[in-house]
Amino acid sequence: MRHSFTAVIEKNATFDMDFDTEPYECAWASEARWFINVMELEGHKARLSAKVQVSPDGLFWCDEGSQFEPMSEPDLYSLAVRDFGGWLRLDCELDGTDARLRLMIYLVLKE
Amino acid sequence: MALANADIRLSRFNPLPRILAFDDFDDGLHGWCELVGNHNGDLNEMQPVFKDMRPAQLSTCTFFDIGTHGAVDGTYSMKLATRPRKYHQAVAIKRLTSAADGLVQFEAWFTYKAEQTFGGDDSGARAWDGNYHPSEAHFGSFTLWNDICEETEPRDRYHAALRYENTNEEGEFTQRWLYKTGLHPTTRMLREGFDSNQNDVHVAKPDMWAPIPGGDQQLCFNEVPTKVNWHYLRWLFDLSTRRNTELQVNDLTMDLRDIPVLRFDEGYWGINRLLNLCMDVRTTSNVRNFLYMDSVVISADW
Repeated sequence: MRHSFTAVIEKNATFDMDFDTEPYECAWASEARWFINVMELEGHKARLSAKVQVSPDGLFWCDEGSQFEPMSEPDLYSLAVRDFGGWLRLDCELDGTDARLRLMIYLVLKE
Repeated sequence: MALANADIRLSRFNPLPRILAFDDFDDGLHGWCELVGNHNGDLNEMQPVFKDMRPAQLSTCTFFDIGTHGAVDGTYSMKLATRPRKYHQAVAIKRLTSAADGLVQFEAWFTYKAEQTFGGDDSGARAWDGNYHPSEAHFGSFTLWNDICEETEPRDRYHAALRYENTNEEGEFTQRWLYKTGLHPTTRMLREGFDSNQNDVHVAKPDMWAPIPGGDQQLCFNEVPTKVNWHYLRWLFDLSTRRNTELQVNDLTMDLRDIPVLRFDEGYWGINRLLNLCMDVRTTSNVRNFLYMDSVVISADW
């Protein structure tokens, strides 16, 4: 049986500016799927963008190459990733005037 | 003991006769999950101190200068990681129930670290001198604790909590073991207006900790943030007396039988025979703190 683990990376968190998620170790996994549940999104032309980033050490990061489609309304969004090495995080950008959001971010890992 | 000695992975432990769990994190997290506060489905109802206790990670102990450090055996350990924010706390819990009163023992091979930083402003006695490294002062504390409830009557529930305080709230080295002198503010207490600083899951105020007699101990941080040395720990508590019995960390054994363990005056519903084991790491700096467990054995005499 293949191991799997779901980590809640952000839990009911609110943001009004750009942010990176906390580093998460995933060397044991061969596949990953991010979920972003945007529960509230306020502000004029508010939009969330999220890029996958990878790291050799959890300290220095670069883009992995994949990213979510821009999110401009509350909904559940998902993105699958493979070949990510030992660490994953999301580089999130919040655009718009007086933009503010509340969300959950899950990282689902499988061996 | 014969069984433990015959198994090369168990021979570094001293379990009681019945092993309830042998959690070798080379093959998963073994039910150690993120603690979450009580809520009614609306996460906005959760008290601040319970909101963000972080998911446990399976770590390779990989660092920027040497690559993968690994664990005592195999590659993986369980890692709890705080955010890089003063007083943030990461908490993991394993939820069991007890089949009888009697002794319960928690053993672990563990280590702890503060995250590597670059270009810090540590100076004077805290500056790097080739041996001492300022990273050690970036580490706050880690705590082992339980949550026990026998039945639904008043005074049936209690938490024993033992903290290794590396630095105090001001970030000054203390390097000692503590026990708590205040109640864990439960969600119900907080909803009823219990006054809490909401920055330590164990107590409402930072002065609600006291030193364990004979509990001064310098552990093996090993100079830099990228070298990890694993330590042996054995914590014994007694469900019959509702007390700790003893704590051994390497060559130091502390007799805890006279250390008070506070009970809740109120009764709690629906948690009969609760036997939760918990651990956490709490930073006193704006640097991520990590607690690593190579492996854990939980055993009992019943």
